[in-house]
Amino acid sequence: MDNLADLLHGFSIAVTMPHLALMAVGVLLGILVGVLPGLGAPNGVSLLLPLTFGMQPVSAIILLSSMYWGALFGGSVTSILFNIPGEPSSVATTFDGYPMARDGRPTTALATAFGSAAFGALIGVILITFLASWVAQVALAFGPPEYFAVYFLAFASFVGMGGAAPIKTVVALAIGFAIAAIGIDTVSGSVRLTMGVDELVKGVSFVVAVMGLFGIGELLVAVEEEFHARAVSSKIDWREVFRAVGRLPRHGVALLRSAAIGCWMGITPGGPTAASFMSYGIARRFSRRGRLFGTGEIEGIISPETADHAAGTSALLPMLSLGIPGSATAAVMMGGLMIWGLNPGPMLFVDQKDFVWGLIASMYVGNIVAVALVLLTVPVFAALMRIPFVVIAPLIVIICVVGAYSVSNSYLDVVMMLGFGVVGYLFKKLFYPLAPLVLAIVIGDKAEDAFRQSMLLSKGSLGIFFANKLVTCLIVGGIALLLLPLVLQLARLWRKPASPAIDTPAQEKVII
Amino acid sequence: MISRRALELATAVLTGSFGVAVVVSSLDNGIGWSSAGVDAGTFPFLTGIVIVVGSLVNLVRGVLPAVTLASVPTAITSIELRRLAGLLVPAAIFVAAIPLAGMYVASALYVLAVLAIPRHQSVPRALVMAGATALALYVVFERMFQVSLPHGALAAALGF
Repeated sequence: MDNLADLLHGFSIAVTMPHLALMAVGVLLGILVGVLPGLGAPNGVSLLLPLTFGMQPVSAIILLSSMYWGALFGGSVTSILFNIPGEPSSVATTFDGYPMARDGRPTTALATAFGSAAFGALIGVILITFLASWVAQVALAFGPPEYFAVYFLAFASFVGMGGAAPIKTVVALAIGFAIAAIGIDTVSGSVRLTMGVDELVKGVSFVVAVMGLFGIGELLVAVEEEFHARAVSSKIDWREVFRAVGRLPRHGVALLRSAAIGCWMGITPGGPTAASFMSYGIARRFSRRGRLFGTGEIEGIISPETADHAAGTSALLPMLSLGIPGSATAAVMMGGLMIWGLNPGPMLFVDQKDFVWGLIASMYVGNIVAVALVLLTVPVFAALMRIPFVVIAPLIVIICVVGAYSVSNSYLDVVMMLGFGVVGYLFKKLFYPLAPLVLAIVIGDKAEDAFRQSMLLSKGSLGIFFANKLVTCLIVGGIALLLLPLVLQLARLWRKPASPAIDTPAQEKVII
Repeated sequence: MISRRALELATAVLTGSFGVAVVVSSLDNGIGWSSAGVDAGTFPFLTGIVIVVGSLVNLVRGVLPAVTLASVPTAITSIELRRLAGLLVPAAIFVAAIPLAGMYVASALYVLAVLAIPRHQSVPRALVMAGATALALYVVFERMFQVSLPHGALAAALGF
C-alpha cells in the first residue's frame, strides 16, 4: 500500500491554500476556454504555459491540469445549453443533452452530465493512482529499443484505432516528425531542415503549432457557420441537481462501461473525442431504450460524458509513467514538463515524488472544485455566449498572436502560427487528425533519439528490435495496428465483392 | 465555391510539396550510416518519403470519383468563403502590420477596423473596445508579466 501513503503525502501538497487558489483560477480559465468556440483545452493550456515558467513545477502542473478539467466541463455547458460544442470532445453530448435541455430540463441535463463526468474522472484518477507507479517501475528497465518500440506502438495505434482515414493519419504523423526535426539535431549537433531560414535554427515550438492548428484553425471553422446562440434557460435549480445526481447509480452499468471505454481510449492514444463517440455509439446499441437516443435520453448524456472525462484524465497516465501523452492536451502539458526541466517518464516516480503525487492528489481535489465551480458559474458563462461572435473572434486572434510571440519573443513565430492556422483549418475540413500531428511534434525528437541510440547499440542492425520478448511483442503489436485498417478493408472487399466499401461522411469524425 | 475534391487536391499538393522540401533538405545532412551512427538526415529523409507517398495516395484518391467525395460535393460555399476571408484577411494584415506599427497600435487598429467597418458596432463603441484591448495587453504583459511586446518601427522612429 505504498501508493496510498504516497497519495496521502500528495494530498498534503495539493490541499494548501495557494494550490487550492491555483485550482480555482485554472478551472475558471478552463471553463472560459471551454465555453468560447475557437479556444479549446490544447491551446488554452499552451497560452498559459509561458506564464508558468517562473513557478514551481508542481504548482504549474496543478494550474494547467485544473485548466484542462475546467475546459472539459465548459465544453459540456455549451453543448447542453446552446447545442454548440465548445470542445470537440463534447460533440456527442449535444445529441441528447440539448434535446433534454430544450424540453425544459436544463438542470437535469447539466447535473447528469457533470455527475457522470466526475465519475469518469474519478475512475481515471483511481486508475492512475494504482497503475502509474507500477507501469513506471516496469519502464525503469527499458532501454532505447524498448522506448522506441513503445513510441512506435503509440503512433501505430493512432493509425489503427484513431478513426480517421489511415493514410491521412500517417501523413499528419510524418509532418509532425519532420517539424520536430527542424533546428539543431541533438545527437550530431548539425542544423537540419531550416531551408535557408536562419531563425529556424531554434526549431519550431509546439506551442506555436498548437495555437495555430487549434486556435486559428478552429476559429476559421467556427466562423464559417454563423451560429446564433439561442440558449434555453440557464437557471440552476439546486434541488434538481441533487435529485439528478441521486438518480445516477441506477445507470451503473452505463457508467462503468463508459468509464472503461474512456480509460482504454485515454491510455492508448485514442483521445477523449474518439472515446465519447465510441461510448455513445455502444450505449445506443446496447441500451434497451436505444431507439429513443437523440431525444434527450439520460444514458445518451451519461455515456459520452463519462467516457470523455475518463479518457481526458487517464491520458495523463502514459504521460507520467512513460513520457507518451495520450491526448493533444496531455502532449502540451508534457512539453511544459520538459520546459520546466523535468524529464517525463519513469524517473519522475523516483526523482520527483512530490511532483507526481501532488499532481495525482490534485486531480481528485481539482475535479471536485471543477464540479462545484461549473455549477455555480453556469449562468455567468451562459451570458458570455451572448456576446456576438464578431466581437470575440478578433480578440481570440489577438490572444493567439500575442501568445505565439511571447513564447520566444519572435515575430517569425507569429507568422508561422498564422500559417499553422490555415493548415489546421484545411486539416479539420478534410478530416486529417490533428492530435497525432501535435504528439509527433512534441515527442518526435525522443522517438528519433531512441531509434538512433538503438542503432548505435546494435551497430546498425534492426535485429535489436526483436532481441527479447518484450520488444518483439511491442513491435509486432505496432505493426499489427498499422496493418489493421488494410486488413479490414480487404475483408470488407472480400465479403462484398460487388459493392465497394461505403464510408458515409457521417462516419468521418474529427479526432482530436 | 470550392468543391471538396479541389480542397482535397490542394491539401495533398501542399503536404506533398512540404514532403519534397523535407527530402531535399535532409540530403544535405547525409542519409545512411556513418562512423557516428545513423546520419542526421536519415530520419527526416524517411519521414519526407512517407509524406510524399501518403500525399500521392491522397491525391489519387481525390482525383478518383470515390463514393465519399461524391456525397459531399461542396466543401466551402461562396458565403462561407466570404466569412472566412472576412476573418483571415484582416488577421493577416494585422500580423503584417506588427513590425511597423507595434503590437499595441496594430491590435487596436485591428479591433477598430473589424468592428466598425462592417458596422457590427457603432464607431464610438468600437473605439472604446480598441482602446481597452491595447490597454489590457499593456497592463497584462508589460506590467504584470514583464514581457515586452514589439513596439514597432514607427514607435522607435518617434523615440519610444
